[in-house]
Amino acid sequence: MIEEPYRWVEAIQNRREYIENQLAAGSPIVALSGADGILLVTVSRERQKLFEIYDRIAMGAIGHPGDIERLRMTGIEVAGAEGFTRSAQDVSLRRLVSYSMSPLLKNAFEQIYGPPYLARMLFAELGRNGEPDLLLTLDYDGSYHTNGGALSNAPEPFAVISGKHHSASMMSEFLRKTKISGLSQDERLNVGLDAWTVGHLTLTREEDGVPSAETISAHREEQLKQGAVEAVLLDRHAPSKITYRSLKI
Amino acid sequence: MTDSGVPDFPTLLRRNGILPEPPPVHAPRGGPLPEGCQTMATTILAFKFAGGVLMAGDRRATSGNLVIYDRADKVLEIDRFSLMAIAGVPATAWEMARMLEHSFQFYRRSQLQEMSMEGKVRALSKLLRDNIGMALQGVGVVVPIFAAYDPAADLSRLYFYDVMGAQFEVADFAASGSGSPSVRAVLQYANAYGSRPMLKMNEEEAVLLALRALDTAAQNDTATGAVDRHGRVYPLVKIVNSKGITTLPDAVLIKAYQRDLQNAKNQPTP
Repeated sequence: MIEEPYRWVEAIQNRREYIENQLAAGSPIVALSGADGILLVTVSRERQKLFEIYDRIAMGAIGHPGDIERLRMTGIEVAGAEGFTRSAQDVSLRRLVSYSMSPLLKNAFEQIYGPPYLARMLFAELGRNGEPDLLLTLDYDGSYHTNGGALSNAPEPFAVISGKHHSASMMSEFLRKTKISGLSQDERLNVGLDAWTVGHLTLTREEDGVPSAETISAHREEQLKQGAVEAVLLDRHAPSKITYRSLKI
Repeated sequence: MTDSGVPDFPTLLRRNGILPEPPPVHAPRGGPLPEGCQTMATTILAFKFAGGVLMAGDRRATSGNLVIYDRADKVLEIDRFSLMAIAGVPATAWEMARMLEHSFQFYRRSQLQEMSMEGKVRALSKLLRDNIGMALQGVGVVVPIFAAYDPAADLSRLYFYDVMGAQFEVADFAASGSGSPSVRAVLQYANAYGSRPMLKMNEEEAVLLALRALDTAAQNDTATGAVDRHGRVYPLVKIVNSKGITTLPDAVLIKAYQRDLQNAKNQPTP
């Protein structure tokens, strides 16, 4: 039955719904780019969600832990092998995602007899020599979006992922209205946590817009009692070539 | 991932066809290699002092009677807390250092924890063992020294290796390469009969001792490079301790040399 094109499209649609449902509870992740580097922030209850992929690349992911682990390993292996055979300079997020990760995800997603990856990812790469930072979100079907990176005249200084699309778009709306450039690290962490709270609030309230400042701060305080802030900095001024650093909050 | 489920960087490379399998071991056939076909890095030393482990090397690389290069870096930083000094064939040694560096990073990233000191020491041992086949044929012999700060024991440790990959933990000092007999003599003397044992020396004294040992080696061994004050090429001296790795700037070395020269001038001439 799957051989019929209509059935195939239907099967893909079902699969999409199933995966979206599985991801729906995913706690948001925020990346903010600034003068001192890229800050990744989220609130975690039970497991680590932010990871180092290579010298200048970090990843945050929501979804099934087993799938996240496999994708994380793929990223580390591809970047590590490239960095060893050529050089660390030759490792790039754009190539990692467009040649390795995205085709892998698309393939698994569309092979409807096999299991798809239940994961949504956010990648960040520090720009070299004054180039803009690349922030990229990659979905379970292999589709990805970037902040523009070096291709854009005005790349957005943030990227977000969340369990639901509505929640992610509310976070983006909130961040577009918030001043991000020129902030200190603590101020950016604060903005990041507010954006996380916006995402967390709108996960359950589908029809709401961006919540008011009071709602945000009340909900944020309540949530931080239950979970721990997980934050990572890709340090633009790191003393060694490894830029990934966990921040103690 | 390997069959045991533990990701290992060399295995990953082999699986991708990037790293060749170690060649089978053959007894050497025919005579020795023609003179001049191998570049060799020469004298290196390392010892423990009050402020961690100091590692130093001259800058010369030779091939037979030729000086190939006079700015060779033989003391290499593997990660934030590990140093490796190489004597032998740089072609092999630098590749080993690169492999180690990538292996440690790969392990840390994939396992979300730092590799243990024991694991790091073994990793180098395994690379040397994979190299036995080449070494037996007289190609690519490497005799490294490895030093690292071990956070678990809060202690800087020092190891030397033989060609076959056996590792030996050292209590006080290690030296390798063509100038090592002189270096050993100087260090042994300083440790046993000097004003105080090396373990009690401060950084200034330790640097001075390292420079004197290398200078002595350069006097006695043609393959060890002396200080080229004209070209401003000084030995490479690095220190590893709980704060990480420090490379001593040339200015500090120059000062130490100048003080030694001054002392020599004040001595009566025969």
